[in-house]
Amino acid sequence: MDILRKKTWSPYTAGALAGLLLVLSVFLTGKYFGASTTFVRAAGFVEQSVAPERVAGMAYFLKEKVIVDWQFLFVVGVLFGALASAWLSKEKRAVAVPPMWEGRFGASRVRRWTAAFLGGGVLMFGARLADG
Amino acid sequence: MNELLTGAVTGILFGFLMQKAQVIRYDRQLAALRLQDMTIVKFMLSTILVAMVGIYLLFDLGLIKLSVKPLILGGNVLGGLIFGIGWGIVGYCPATAMGALGEGRYDSAFGLLGMILGAGLYAEAYPLMKETVLTWGDFGKITLPSVLGINHWIVIVILAAAFIALFRWFEKKGL
Repeated sequence: MDILRKKTWSPYTAGALAGLLLVLSVFLTGKYFGASTTFVRAAGFVEQSVAPERVAGMAYFLKEKVIVDWQFLFVVGVLFGALASAWLSKEKRAVAVPPMWEGRFGASRVRRWTAAFLGGGVLMFGARLADG
Repeated sequence: MNELLTGAVTGILFGFLMQKAQVIRYDRQLAALRLQDMTIVKFMLSTILVAMVGIYLLFDLGLIKLSVKPLILGGNVLGGLIFGIGWGIVGYCPATAMGALGEGRYDSAFGLLGMILGAGLYAEAYPLMKETVLTWGDFGKITLPSVLGINHWIVIVILAAAFIALFRWFEKKGL
């Protein structure tokens, strides 16, 4: 299976296959792809471990129930799919700071990780406000 | 089949495809935002092209249900702008951040933690948003064909032609 070991597939081919995967998913299981609701659930699980009564009364956690569902496993699956693909094509592992970031903002890990954390927070607030 | 199992299998296949197309990299996502490299746009539009044809075909045959999100200008526009600011900084969207972690780009782990925090903050803000932003310009669950009052295949053919023209232009410009 040389094709699975190739480092790169055309984005058109891979994208079209992802489209087929989506059609198949909707046809067989009725599930459309999404990711950001899972982060709401993850936040719900974290908060539940500290203040379960509070989470139980919050409107947003009543709307998006704090459960492990199809999408939760879909999002976890993405990690393992990417891992399998990178492993098969022997990609260089463990990159702490992206090259383009390093070229502009320097090699400081703390700076990059802080920005990634804050950027991720802002991104997700916006994503939920726009409803995914 | 078990819902959790199908979710995991679908996610694994999707993550595999995204890694092969190199779309889960900070450098690719930022290069797209800087209009230097359209790899992720090619991937996304190819997915949409195939999926819109397949989904509407199955819909016309009465085999599936559509999943239409409401158009709420307040939430969509404001949320989109906030999302864009965050995306430009973290350089990964939610699913690609998971993929990037699988690929060994572990700066995304901090992005993922931030995303969980952002989701938690939104849950706190939700009651306020529901009273304000999410009431601004609420058009309900509409689609392009329903607003234009035309058959969905006309919209699909026009969009497909536009995507393909865009692909040809990307290749000509070496984007």
